[in-house]
Amino acid sequence: MELCDLSALELRNLLRRKEVSAVEVLDAHLRRIDAVDGRPGTLDSAPLTDEDRRKVHALITRTDARARAQAEAVDRRLAAGEDPGPLAGIPVTVKDIFCVKGTPSTAASRILASFTAPYTATPVERMEAAGAVMIGKVNLDEFTYGSSNESSAFQPAPRNPWNPERVPGGSSGGSAASVAAGEAPLSLGTDTAGSIRQPAAFCGVVGMKPTYGRVSRYGLIAFASSLDCPGPLARSSADAALMLQAIAGPDPRDATSAAVPVPDYLAELEKGVKGMRIGLSPDYFQLTFPDPQTGEIRQQALPEEMRAAVLHAAEVLAGMGAEIIEDVPMPATRYGIPAYFVISRVEAASNLHRYDGVKYGYRTRRKPADLRDLYRKTRAEGFGPQPKLRILMGMYVSAAQYSEQYYNRALKVRAMIRNDFDRAFDPSGKYRLNALLTPTTPTTAFEMDAVYGDSVLMQYADQLTVPANHAGVPGISLPGGIAADGLPVGIQLLGPDFSEAELLRIGRAFEVGTAGEAWRQVKPLVLRER
Amino acid sequence: MPEYEAVIGLETHIQLNTTTKIFCGCKADSWFDPPNTNICPVCTGLPGVLPVLNRAVVEKAVLLAAAMHAEIRPVSYFDRKNYFYPDLPKGYQISQFDQSIGKGGYLDLPIPAASAADKQAYTRRVSITKLHMEEDAGKTKNAGGRRFVDFNRCGVPLIEMVTGPDLRSADEAAQYLIRLRQLLRWLGVSEADMEKGHLRCDANVSIRLKGETGLNPKTEIKNVNSIDAVREAIEKEIARQIHETEAGRKIEAWTLEWDEDAGVLRKMRSKETEADYRYFREPDLLAVRLDDAWKQAILRDLPELPLERRARFVAQYGLPEYDADILTAERSLSDYYEAAVKAYGGDPKKVSNWLMNDVLRMLNDAGLKAEDLKLTPAHLAELLKLVDSGKINITTGKALLGKVQESGKSPAAIVEAEGLGLVSDDSAIRAVVEEVLAESPAEVASYKGGKLTLMGWFVGQVMRKMRGKADPNLARQILEELLQ
Ligand SMILES: [Zn+2]
Repeated sequence: MELCDLSALELRNLLRRKEVSAVEVLDAHLRRIDAVDGRPGTLDSAPLTDEDRRKVHALITRTDARARAQAEAVDRRLAAGEDPGPLAGIPVTVKDIFCVKGTPSTAASRILASFTAPYTATPVERMEAAGAVMIGKVNLDEFTYGSSNESSAFQPAPRNPWNPERVPGGSSGGSAASVAAGEAPLSLGTDTAGSIRQPAAFCGVVGMKPTYGRVSRYGLIAFASSLDCPGPLARSSADAALMLQAIAGPDPRDATSAAVPVPDYLAELEKGVKGMRIGLSPDYFQLTFPDPQTGEIRQQALPEEMRAAVLHAAEVLAGMGAEIIEDVPMPATRYGIPAYFVISRVEAASNLHRYDGVKYGYRTRRKPADLRDLYRKTRAEGFGPQPKLRILMGMYVSAAQYSEQYYNRALKVRAMIRNDFDRAFDPSGKYRLNALLTPTTPTTAFEMDAVYGDSVLMQYADQLTVPANHAGVPGISLPGGIAADGLPVGIQLLGPDFSEAELLRIGRAFEVGTAGEAWRQVKPLVLRER
Repeated sequence: MPEYEAVIGLETHIQLNTTTKIFCGCKADSWFDPPNTNICPVCTGLPGVLPVLNRAVVEKAVLLAAAMHAEIRPVSYFDRKNYFYPDLPKGYQISQFDQSIGKGGYLDLPIPAASAADKQAYTRRVSITKLHMEEDAGKTKNAGGRRFVDFNRCGVPLIEMVTGPDLRSADEAAQYLIRLRQLLRWLGVSEADMEKGHLRCDANVSIRLKGETGLNPKTEIKNVNSIDAVREAIEKEIARQIHETEAGRKIEAWTLEWDEDAGVLRKMRSKETEADYRYFREPDLLAVRLDDAWKQAILRDLPELPLERRARFVAQYGLPEYDADILTAERSLSDYYEAAVKAYGGDPKKVSNWLMNDVLRMLNDAGLKAEDLKLTPAHLAELLKLVDSGKINITTGKALLGKVQESGKSPAAIVEAEGLGLVSDDSAIRAVVEEVLAESPAEVASYKGGKLTLMGWFVGQVMRKMRGKADPNLARQILEELLQ
């Protein structure tokens, strides 16, 4: 067992007992990165080699020097007997969609490749204030637009540590891959439609999308502002709780952050699930999507092993005293993706307006004829296909003559989805759920290049995660088993607003209840035979 | 030629005089600052930043909306107005679209006789069709073949306020701006200085045959930086439209730019279609919820409005309209006037005379506001009483104004210290009178010979010897007695 395979809580205890130094902890993680990560993502990257195909490629930017300075500061404080903070000496990676002062903040896009942020995002600032050591910025889908990481302008794109021929998921794929591969025990990601939970499920780690407003968005380069949520990725519920504790809470720089007190997540963690009401919904065991050829709406049951993992989790939790409520109707789930397509693209197109080549970031090197031409050339060269698709669709559906038909209708759907959750969680209603238990994804991690060409189909991979973003409620994805293809299966818990403590508690109980199961002992492929 | 009437609507942008910008902590007013000095990640639209609403902007908007008799929405929203321009760093302007803070409203605009076609004063009700909060954009300029952007003005709080097509002449438009400027300063929401861009105005102008009620195609006049320029530009545009119409040509929906130096309108562009700004709710800001407690706290500061006060001054103090208009031109002057009237207790018109003749000149010369004067309303009242009681004469009184203003001491104290009071000691004056008579035998002889008009000359001599401090009535009495 190496230091980089320990949990953040274990590292914390070792550091506090001065059994290891923060610099030793850092070095162990940097060695792991050297061993498994391969070359970092860059623009205009050379073609993939066989060597590349075996590596994780989670990182875009390593911040070794910065990390070393932070680790040394932690060691000095520990030596001086000072409290170095709750995350002291814990290495973290940060999705490269957050601005961090003095580091490239690229959004995995050519258009921001040269942008160095002059300020630090609130969640990163809070982790660093708590003593965390930021070891690098990790890759993602360009501007977070995707579910596989393949759309990053910085190639090689991250690969799944469980099987590098598979995608790590996205858009927080670099985060999930880095945590799964032991490059850091914690990573900061963002979730707009499942972008934390889906890669967490694909990479066999824990990923939490907190309640909208629980964690400040200040410094998060926006995708869909009304849906984006920063959150933790970790290898256990306890580590996720530790990290959420550091980043949650109101922020005067984010007007949409919630003025709700932050509970002590770790203190709540071991309270068990006895008496909790956990629901299952048939609407989360099937996919509804338009046939790509005919446009007809089709329904398809989830693969049996995805369903089995959820039912198994329900059994485990029931065995620990939870009450399982079946057949909870969540009828608006099927409209989540179309509504998301409209809302997220309207917001995304607007959020991308600022990248115009005037102030910062990429500007065309060809001589523009006039101002419009500067915009056109800069944006044509600077954005990859995914941002362009979002701009086109966002512009189209928000045009004055269409906005009633699309945007306003999508907002109504959003309210319907919220109603589903309100009904399920209503403490005096029929179901009175503490949480809804679902699969996180319809499938395990897909193959590289398999679905990327069809962005619509890739988006339907988010059908089970996006409702929580529409409704604003928190969700967590937990490793729930390993499928026949050897890849992790994720299970998801969704709860009422600000019920993160309960979700983490259920997650912890599930981990305790399945600690002895064989799949818990299986390591990601890139870490085997080490 | 048939008779035409103009149909004019004004679109104003009002810069609020908050300390900081609308969505960040940067200083709002940059008039005296070099480019790009009052900026931060938020107002320059760096990736990842978020706006946080400055409550003072809402408070000033509510005051203005109330003063314009607009309905104040308890819940209003910010929206994104999307368009590309280098001075707009986010590529969208945060504004209010369909659910803005103010709904409707009007201003009853008094048109003075001098501005009326038939020289009869009247009132024009001007409706308000839009009243919302928004952020300003920056500025660009071309120099040396390059284009420069100054972001200082980005995020400066604005109210956009638009009138209905209710104004009927260039003079009415000018009167509207005069009254709006007065109101904005009165409420303390804006410095309302057009030259500094605190108050910006675009005018929509069309004409129609008198008696018609429909609206004809209009042109939009932009870039007018003073009230006189607005009047002049609209006059020229009305004349042009009449000329075109008479010549059988159609008026096209152009955007015109006023060239201040040349005094002409230039065509900027044809306006075929409305731009689609793809408005949608600003997801980075919550709805503006104006609960009753907050609203009441704001409206507690809503003063009596200038036009109301003007009417009251006429009714309550019996002032002529002319006086009332001048005294209510500015809020602190009107407050000053009322305080002085109360402290004085005498004829309000007399206070008005002193204010309008002397104090106003003092204010204008020094560039001060009434509230800045060291000469307080109580001082002025005391001074008037000194004159009334004959302790000092009017000339001394007028000279005292400046001395009080300079020293901040009370008029009575200055009169005392400098011996400015009239000498009413019979024996002191009698001694001087005797001296004058002894030095002027010829004049005494003529007076006694019947040239009674010399009395004024004698009084003048006495006053000169006593450096103006003699009580002139007493001096005259003694002279008459001794010359008999
Ligand atoms: Zn600023």
